[in-house]
Amino acid sequence: MNRNSTRYTVAFTFIVCAFFVFFLALANDLTKEKVAANRRFTERSSVLRALGVPFADAGSVDSVYEKEVTELTAGSTVVYRASAEGVPRFARFFSGPALGGTVFGVLAVDAEVGRVSGLQIVSHNETPGLGGRIDESWFKDQFTGERIADAGIRVRQGSGKGDGDSENAEVDAVTGASLTSKFMETMVNGEIAALRKLRDEGGLK
Amino acid sequence: MSAAKKRGKAMTVLIDNLWWNNPVFIQILGICSTLAVTNNLTNTFIMTVGVSLATAFSSWTLAGMNTFIPNKVRMIVQVLVISFYVIIIDIVLRAYMPDVSRSLGPYVGLIITNCIIMGRAEAFARSNPPLISFWDGLTSGFGYMAVLMAIAAVRELLGFGSLFGIPVLSAAFGDRFVPWTIMIMAPSAFFLLALAMWGLKSLQESMKAAPPAAGGAKPQGSAK
Repeated sequence: MNRNSTRYTVAFTFIVCAFFVFFLALANDLTKEKVAANRRFTERSSVLRALGVPFADAGSVDSVYEKEVTELTAGSTVVYRASAEGVPRFARFFSGPALGGTVFGVLAVDAEVGRVSGLQIVSHNETPGLGGRIDESWFKDQFTGERIADAGIRVRQGSGKGDGDSENAEVDAVTGASLTSKFMETMVNGEIAALRKLRDEGGLK
Repeated sequence: MSAAKKRGKAMTVLIDNLWWNNPVFIQILGICSTLAVTNNLTNTFIMTVGVSLATAFSSWTLAGMNTFIPNKVRMIVQVLVISFYVIIIDIVLRAYMPDVSRSLGPYVGLIITNCIIMGRAEAFARSNPPLISFWDGLTSGFGYMAVLMAIAAVRELLGFGSLFGIPVLSAAFGDRFVPWTIMIMAPSAFFLLALAMWGLKSLQESMKAAPPAAGGAKPQGSAK
């Protein structure tokens, strides 16, 4: 058969596409449950870390989560409550646009929304090594225990190594990622505003 | 082809791809990722392993199907095969290495657009049998890896003071170490890559001018 005839070309393309797509669908289907389990693990461990609830290892995340965390439904959103050292804390998932795509994370605060308990990133599409560094612990740890000012938390140009002062309501931006840092500031402050609204409606109890 | 001759060809392909016809500093391919991922050795290593495997397997597959591929849709089929392997790598990472998948984010998908893969498919796999094409793809990936790792080592050391995330300069000098912020950002890769090209090409020129060493590879690159 003529390899360059239209009929051969169309048939060949059709068969080759069907062949490779079949194996992709198969691979996707075989790993679907594993991927979903990884996602659930990341979400639950992020909630625990943000709330400051310690867990021993990866294997104990599910049992600690089910024991310590209460899922409260406030309107259309879910608030996660847990007590660390007798103080109740509240966490909520947030998401928002950034430079490379949607950032999905969790922010935890105390009942007065006066201090951040912790910030965790669940997923992001930022440039690895630049904006992607929002997922590094030095950046996230800056939020732990940070006081929330009236205007929220400012992400400002600093040393780029992390801001140790938890009273100034400011954290260091990521060097070389001004835009991602700005988007993070918008997201965190938007989330703080949403949590304040929930607090005023009596949702944080 | 005899076994000895085949070994000879495999060796020529290896030396070509690592040195005389290096994909980065001779063919100037895969530059986008050279600029983007090389400020951190860990990400660079995983990315270059991904590119090596994707190039090797897609070259192997395309060389195997070569006689059946109609000319008109040749490149479409190449892209299909390349994206197939890259998506497989992405799925495997997401299922079995979620941490790596998280830190590399969008770059896994971008392996598809790495010019080296298509370059090898067009330049080598089209006119060679599957096994040697696999080897050619793999060694092209190694040539890419060697240059990127060298650039990443300089950038991470000066930009963060660490190697593979382990503090080196920042540990040795403490607060006296001032990171070179430019090294973290893409422009520094332009400077370093240009310096590397200059140095390595000058070295190649002087090697070509010098009397040939016994058993050395011929300067004129392509292993056709």
